[in-house]
Amino acid sequence: MRRSSLRWWIAGVLVLAACAPRRRHPPVVRAPAVTDDAGRAVALTAPARRVVSLAPSSTELLFAVGAGRQVVGRTTWCRYPPAARSIPVVGDGLDPNVESVAAVHPDLVVLYQSPSNGAALAQLQDLGIPAVVLRQDRLADVARDARILGTLTGHPAQGDSIASALDVVAARRPPVAHTRVAYVVWDNPPIVIGAGSFLDEVGRLAGAENVFHDLRAASAPVSLESIVARNPDVIAVVDDSTAPATPAFAARPEWRAVPAIRAGRILHLPGDLFGRPTPRAAEAIAVFARLLATVR
Amino acid sequence: MKWVVLVGASLLAVLLAVASGPTRIPLAELAGSPIVRDLRVPRALLGFLVGGALAVAGTGLQALVRNPLADPFLMGLSGGAGLGAVAAIALRLPGPWALPLAAFAGALAAMLLVYRLGLVAGATLDPRVLLLAGVVVGSFAAAITTAIVSLSEAEQLRNALLWLWGGLSGASWSTLAVIAAYLPVPLIVIAVSARPLDLLGLGDEPAQYLGADVAPLRRRVYLAASLLTAAAVAVSGVIGFVGLIVPHIGRLAWGHRHRTLLPAAFLGGGILLVLSDTLARTIVAPRELPVGIVTALIGVPVFAVLLRRWVRA
Repeated sequence: MRRSSLRWWIAGVLVLAACAPRRRHPPVVRAPAVTDDAGRAVALTAPARRVVSLAPSSTELLFAVGAGRQVVGRTTWCRYPPAARSIPVVGDGLDPNVESVAAVHPDLVVLYQSPSNGAALAQLQDLGIPAVVLRQDRLADVARDARILGTLTGHPAQGDSIASALDVVAARRPPVAHTRVAYVVWDNPPIVIGAGSFLDEVGRLAGAENVFHDLRAASAPVSLESIVARNPDVIAVVDDSTAPATPAFAARPEWRAVPAIRAGRILHLPGDLFGRPTPRAAEAIAVFARLLATVR
Repeated sequence: MKWVVLVGASLLAVLLAVASGPTRIPLAELAGSPIVRDLRVPRALLGFLVGGALAVAGTGLQALVRNPLADPFLMGLSGGAGLGAVAAIALRLPGPWALPLAAFAGALAAMLLVYRLGLVAGATLDPRVLLLAGVVVGSFAAAITTAIVSLSEAEQLRNALLWLWGGLSGASWSTLAVIAAYLPVPLIVIAVSARPLDLLGLGDEPAQYLGADVAPLRRRVYLAASLLTAAAVAVSGVIGFVGLIVPHIGRLAWGHRHRTLLPAAFLGGGILLVLSDTLARTIVAPRELPVGIVTALIGVPVFAVLLRRWVRA
């Protein structure tokens, strides 16, 4: 019974595939060329088949554009999606070990844009290994990089569709009702998220107003006094643990001066969805909005 | 007269620190504001105590090793505290006091190791051996710290290193109470050694002839200065320049007699740190600078001016 239904499934899929109009599959670019986030021209002779991804956000994006099977190396911290865990680790993403990267014979290396990756970029060039430098910090970056990675790995259609979906998300009008939030990433010295961060954008679209939106940086150390003075309704912390617990700093006497801490209005944002820019922005916004509803 | 100025300046510095901050609070409302009561007042007082403790520790150590470059953090304590703090984060030690306690334990471990190495050359704690031991233990701890940081998920540990750069944002009435109860003992130990510390300036043998018990004096002052520094690093990270420069400013203005130099250094260190912290909190508000940067920016020019006057005179 089960076997025959499976057969029907396969037959159905084959029929559908045959019926699909050809136009819906844009021709795969034979020699993809893009300009990366560092302004470098990256041209390949053929779509990359062996990609080393040196940032968790790029690894997730590669899987999202359908290039997961082409990834042959990742960093220790690339753990999403779960399938990424079976890819061999080549070390760290900042100041990477070029030798172990070269050892897996990549035809494309995805680097995070950072001054500490300059030397690695030059060494890869000397070795004749093409590299693309990406900087994913905000929603628009994820959209742009989805197109870049889609093109370079031979999945331009998927890259485009992720990018357009993210553009739609970014263009949404934020909810009118809003909650004032301070995103605390560290307690001593207090470090908060500013306007330059993905979390600030996702929060805004979910109905959270970052009380430190005036800081242009992605994050910055601030005085505890200014957190008290700005009096956020909620303190949000990004939490990697599966069972979120009240952060230890909430028990510190100086943090008790923050009314939201005293009242226990603390939101735990799961790290794998909120800790870095991700193509799952729509999901992140929905989860965030649900969490906000619990404290409102 | 000098004392009136110094005590007056201390009071003014604390009042200025309490009255100013990133939030504008009208003078009339200062007394009733929870920000002032729970954050600014304990922070100003803690800053004063930490600054004073570091300056006294620096004065004692400079006399002890007869080296003007001696600084409370030269003796490996910052390395030990950093290792303790980073280990606490990497091991995810729970509880709101885990970080300061681990930093304190790390500083104490470094202190005992340096002390033990310092005794290798004999019971008198040879200054050269002590300095060398301090630098070596500090480098060793820093190497382990860097190994942990480079093998762990970077984000949190980078923040821990930022904490090490010094800051008083952990100040509260509880922290202040602990420090105020802890500091008097090592401070008194150094204060009662004022006279023998003067003699030590003449050299080991003359000091011995004049009645100073050099070996126990060195051990006592080393341990007391290190205990002061360990407490300071536990509550406020590594705040540089206070312990290095304030003793020199004190000597330029007050002379070399420790009976007056030590209290002057305490007040001077307190003033420097409280004023620096006030600037650190306000000049880039709502952001905050590591206070160690500001102590260097203020302390070094003041020192340069005094040094020129002193050399001309």
